[in-house]
Amino acid sequence: MALPSKGMEEQTLDFLRSCGLRVSRTNPRQYRATIPALEGVEVLFQRANDIFSKVDEGSVDLGITGYDIVREHRREEDGTIMLLPALGYGACALVLAVPEGWIDVTGVIDIAEISAELRSHGRDLRVATKYPNLTRQFLFDHGINYFTLVESSGALEAAPALNAADVICDLVSSGVTLRENRLKRIAGGTILDSQACLIGNRAALARCADKLEITRHLLELVEAEMRSREYLSLTGNMRGDSAAEVARRVTSRADVAGLRGPTISQVYPKIGDEEGWFAATVIVRSTLLLKAVDALRRAGAGEVSATPLRYMFEQKSWSFEALRRHLNVRAEDE
Amino acid sequence: MEALEVQRIRGTNDLVPPEDAQLRALGSALRNHFELYGYRGADTPVLETLDLFLRKSGEEIAARMYTFTHWNRTLCLRPEFTASLMRAYVNHLQDRPLPVRLHYAGATFRYEKPQRGRYRQFTEVGLECIGGQGPSADAEVLASACGALDAVGLRHYRVVVGHLGVVLELLRQLGIDEHGQALILANMETLTRRRADPTAVLTRMLSQMGVNPDLNDDAPDLDASIDNSSSPLPSLLAEFGSAGAARVAEDLLSRADLALEGGSRTPNEIVARLLAKAGRNDPTEQVRQATDFMIRLRALAGRPDEAFTRLEGLLAEYHLDCAPLREVERALTLFESYVAGTTDLTVDLSLGRGLRYYTGLVFEIYHDGANRIAESNVGRSTNGARPDGGTAMAGAGISQICGGGRYDDLVRALGGRQSVPACGFSFGLERVALALQAEGAQGFPARPVDVLVVPVTDADEPEAIGLAQQLRAAELSVEYDVRLRGVKSALRHADRQTIPFVVICGERERSESRAIVRNMRSRTEHQVERADLIALLRGGP
Repeated sequence: MALPSKGMEEQTLDFLRSCGLRVSRTNPRQYRATIPALEGVEVLFQRANDIFSKVDEGSVDLGITGYDIVREHRREEDGTIMLLPALGYGACALVLAVPEGWIDVTGVIDIAEISAELRSHGRDLRVATKYPNLTRQFLFDHGINYFTLVESSGALEAAPALNAADVICDLVSSGVTLRENRLKRIAGGTILDSQACLIGNRAALARCADKLEITRHLLELVEAEMRSREYLSLTGNMRGDSAAEVARRVTSRADVAGLRGPTISQVYPKIGDEEGWFAATVIVRSTLLLKAVDALRRAGAGEVSATPLRYMFEQKSWSFEALRRHLNVRAEDE
Repeated sequence: MEALEVQRIRGTNDLVPPEDAQLRALGSALRNHFELYGYRGADTPVLETLDLFLRKSGEEIAARMYTFTHWNRTLCLRPEFTASLMRAYVNHLQDRPLPVRLHYAGATFRYEKPQRGRYRQFTEVGLECIGGQGPSADAEVLASACGALDAVGLRHYRVVVGHLGVVLELLRQLGIDEHGQALILANMETLTRRRADPTAVLTRMLSQMGVNPDLNDDAPDLDASIDNSSSPLPSLLAEFGSAGAARVAEDLLSRADLALEGGSRTPNEIVARLLAKAGRNDPTEQVRQATDFMIRLRALAGRPDEAFTRLEGLLAEYHLDCAPLREVERALTLFESYVAGTTDLTVDLSLGRGLRYYTGLVFEIYHDGANRIAESNVGRSTNGARPDGGTAMAGAGISQICGGGRYDDLVRALGGRQSVPACGFSFGLERVALALQAEGAQGFPARPVDVLVVPVTDADEPEAIGLAQQLRAAELSVEYDVRLRGVKSALRHADRQTIPFVVICGERERSESRAIVRNMRSRTEHQVERADLIALLRGGP
């Protein structure tokens, strides 16, 4: 499995650790490591740009890289499967940016007009980018036909100021770099929203049951961990005649009654305190936190505790199901 | 290690015997029919400069083309023939007397999602009548298309005829600029399709025209006040005139310390365009009127006799010139003189074509595939591209097999000395073949091999080869046994390949100047004099 070095390295390690997949290496400068929780997996640190090609050619089986990189380098019928397109970190966007001084430009339509205008004067709109495929398709799709791509791997943001290009297509996360270089984004100019993603080599996963099982393990944990972020477990103590009666009070508000319903357990008070206390536990979406707390209060809860979940497994790992279906369908095709 | 098999590219086809011969024969039959009208064959390169197709073919085609940069030139694989042939006309044929009638066939390429009947490399067979003017030429072109289909034995096809003149006049009348016109025409097909959502199409078109651009992708620097509706620039412009407004604008900008530079545009260009933009009217209302009109046009489509009366009423209501309608009417009247009046014809003035260069009468021909005509799908495709270009109606089995029309501005747009009227069409050859297949037509059988010539030993080879050449000179199709496997396995080969005769040359036959002829069907053998051989083989088994 290949993980990105530089740039996304720290975030990737944090992400995996939060999924219970700590990456263990003897020394942080080493390019090889292991994940003790996934037996048999060897980790290689690579540049995010190289990870796609390594997975695609099959020299590694799994990889985490940028969604933008995969989209730019993918071919039809290539060897790569997208296992999880959004891991929730490393967010950025590939955008079209123009010089701030182009005050007549607010949207992509203006670029189309300017490209036609420049053309009529015998000039081409020059677009600097490291993403020629996505950029070309985007421009064609938006009726911008006359342009020259200036492929550049250096500091793109400087290209318009140096008069090496008119506009640029580049990755943006905060937009500060653009502003510092006196560039601005325009309406409709987002080519692609990207974040870290997990990819796998199709042939390796189709051929080798062990690798497929490791992938399942990985997907189960990652998926459950990511899902768990959306939920909280709430527990409130309340008086009641019986567990059933407490349950009735809690479930009277359906939206905060937990995923399947509350768990009610009896509280055994300290000696001398009153009897008839119950603990009601519900799992709710984090967005409904306060609503749920209020509902529990109305149901009689004095104090309510909220705990984050570590994992939230569903009946099965949906991304793994999708992968298996994908591999099966292909097997039947052949 | 065994070498990996190399696969063909998705969306392309390998033609193996007998498919290749069948498709070629079908193509030749169509082209032979065109020759009856005086069309002569022409061919152009598969590779062209991208610019050729950007001139007039329409913006959206660029996104579906195979383009690449080779040594700093942007090239493409041709997505269609018309632009190439018109380029060739401008390059070489401008001095020829008009009309110049050309027919063609060849591979064309479009990068689209492949499905049955839609390939990324497909074959267009068609013709162009350069210098053909008015309904007379339109009728001939349409008739030659139908005639060619009749000639190859296709029966259940439907013709839809439209005319872009009506819609173009309305757009001009509404004062919609050229960019807007092109956009609306490109969306005509989507707009008038059954179950289309006109509001969604309208919104999309308007946003493509720069009205209410899609703000939901949050460009953080974007200031909503730059939107023309709330900008003071238009009134400023009205008050000071454009020169005055430019001075005011430049002065304000320099006070705001906003550098008007970046890339290769000069401050003057930027301010001029800003003011030009501010001076534009919001086209929303006009575009809405145009789309309403097209939807009404679509609703009036029908058989010629009914459609013409209803359409006249609508055109009168919009104060539009009836000339395009008269042209269609005249062309269809003339068309009837070509064919015996049994063609399934629909007149639909909302018929748009995927390519931008059409200016007058346009038409498309559909085939319903193996399925019966679904009532709801009367004669419309899912988009207006040429037959190849993605118009097979998924599921319904309806496919567009032909498309064409009049394009009077193309020669000029490609640098011709003068404007030359022209019209033409193209068939999607693979789709015509599929349509024939769906009708259970015989198709075009590949030419069979007539005879297999077998030397008994390698000493007999020179003699056997000489004999084979004599037979070929008599127009027989002759296979020679190059594998020298002996007579027995040669006979087995002839059996499997259903070659009717085997001629065996051995030492004795050589000396006697005879040959052994084995009739594979009757399983009989004769010693035949060389002189009688050709007559016997021509007689068939």
